[in-house]
Amino acid sequence: MITRREILYLAGGLVLLPLLSRLALADAAAGSVVAVHGQCVSEKQGRSVPLKTGDAVAVGDTITVPADGKLKLRMGDGSVISLASGTRMTVAAYQTDASGQRQNAELSLAQGLLRAVVAPVDHPSKFEVSTAVGTAAVRSTDWFIEIQPNGTQVGVLTGTVSLSSRATGRAVTIPTRWGARLEAGRDPVLGRVWAPAEFQAVISRTDVP
Amino acid sequence: MVGMRATILGLAAAVGCVLSGSAAFAYTATGDRQFPAAVLLPQITPGDEFYLTYNTLPLGSSGPGTPDRVSNFTTTYMKTITDNLGIVLEETGTRVGLVGAGALSGWQNFDAEIKYLALNVPEHEFLVTLGLDRETGGTGTTRVGASQSGATTPRVYFGKGLGDLDIGYLRPLAIRGLVGTQFADTAPRPNLITTGLIVEYSIPYLQSKVQSFDLPDVFRNLTPVAEFTMTTPAGKSFGARTTALIAPGFAYAGEGWEFALEALVPMTRATGTGVGVTAQLHFALDFLFPNSIGKPLFSVQ
Repeated sequence: MITRREILYLAGGLVLLPLLSRLALADAAAGSVVAVHGQCVSEKQGRSVPLKTGDAVAVGDTITVPADGKLKLRMGDGSVISLASGTRMTVAAYQTDASGQRQNAELSLAQGLLRAVVAPVDHPSKFEVSTAVGTAAVRSTDWFIEIQPNGTQVGVLTGTVSLSSRATGRAVTIPTRWGARLEAGRDPVLGRVWAPAEFQAVISRTDVP
Repeated sequence: MVGMRATILGLAAAVGCVLSGSAAFAYTATGDRQFPAAVLLPQITPGDEFYLTYNTLPLGSSGPGTPDRVSNFTTTYMKTITDNLGIVLEETGTRVGLVGAGALSGWQNFDAEIKYLALNVPEHEFLVTLGLDRETGGTGTTRVGASQSGATTPRVYFGKGLGDLDIGYLRPLAIRGLVGTQFADTAPRPNLITTGLIVEYSIPYLQSKVQSFDLPDVFRNLTPVAEFTMTTPAGKSFGARTTALIAPGFAYAGEGWEFALEALVPMTRATGTGVGVTAQLHFALDFLFPNSIGKPLFSVQ
């Protein structure tokens, strides 16, 4: 015979379980710092913690790289993310399965430039970077995404990226050696082949020795 | 009669040359400006592209056995050697319809061009390319007008988008053009001055750089285009006359391909006597095969 108190505990548990699991997920390590230059910090629940090599980065963390800094992260699925100076990025989600393969990765880029060398997986998965004006989604590739004063710019060294507009829903496919831009409230600009100098500029800015 | 027929075939060949010097601007870009496929004028920059062009134009017949229509089918392959240097290889098949006497078919002379992108100013959507075209004499079929004499044509190409100007909804406008002089190897082939101009209004540019309207998909990728090309003899003409065409139409851009369709409106009697049509299917190899045939032979990347 189940008592009224047991029913209340059970109901409370059912209500709290999703919240607790969400908190646990938020604290789950998504990756770690493998190289850092300058006073890079991680903000979590209002606390600002200086980052050093070996520190864990968790879902929910917002990482800020100062004007004289750079940061390189190795994520749980083996992907490598390099942040240029002046970048601010939040790890919105980063889930891997038992074998370490990525299931879902969502990053939010508020400002700056990042390079992502995305590890391949053998099943459907998501790797997305959102900005104020749109979203870039990939499978496995080596690419860049940068916040600019009037929008977002994507360049692809290898692989393919889909850049979609938050406002219009329109997307462009960006293959190897190509780049494209997206301005607020508009369709993406049609892609084009990037000049070597354009790639070199973003490579040097995200290169963390 | 033989002389007259030769002259008429020469005219047909001249028209054929105007039409077969076709190429496309697909995926030619400077900054955020894309110059879409065009049909009459050659590509203004080096690229990795392959395209097929068809055109047909009625001619002014002078009676039985004389040409009343010329049609060309051109295959073009463009290959980048470095990021700024490339070659263009082109072969054109020609069919000349004769009044009451069937048709003549054959090849135009093999054509190749080397191009160098000399100036690219992305913030002003402006570029300049230098080209050197070589038509190899005697490689075509004389009965459809291919000359035994070769010719060399230095050209200057330019492209300019108006997106950097504060002109509101006119920012999607762009112009492209070329100027060149064709120097014949030997007489009686004349030297020719060739010019061309394109005016276009890019709907993709409007949607992505000016204002996004809720347009049907088919219009979002469309660029209305008007092309103009003119060829006129320089020096001794050897019977050649000025030819000029206006070609209004559109280019539709897909992902890695483009399709262009234009009317051909002759501006001189030597060019033709009725409205023709031209169409082009274009494949951007640098988009479709970026890791193999779509990249420069030598690149720093």
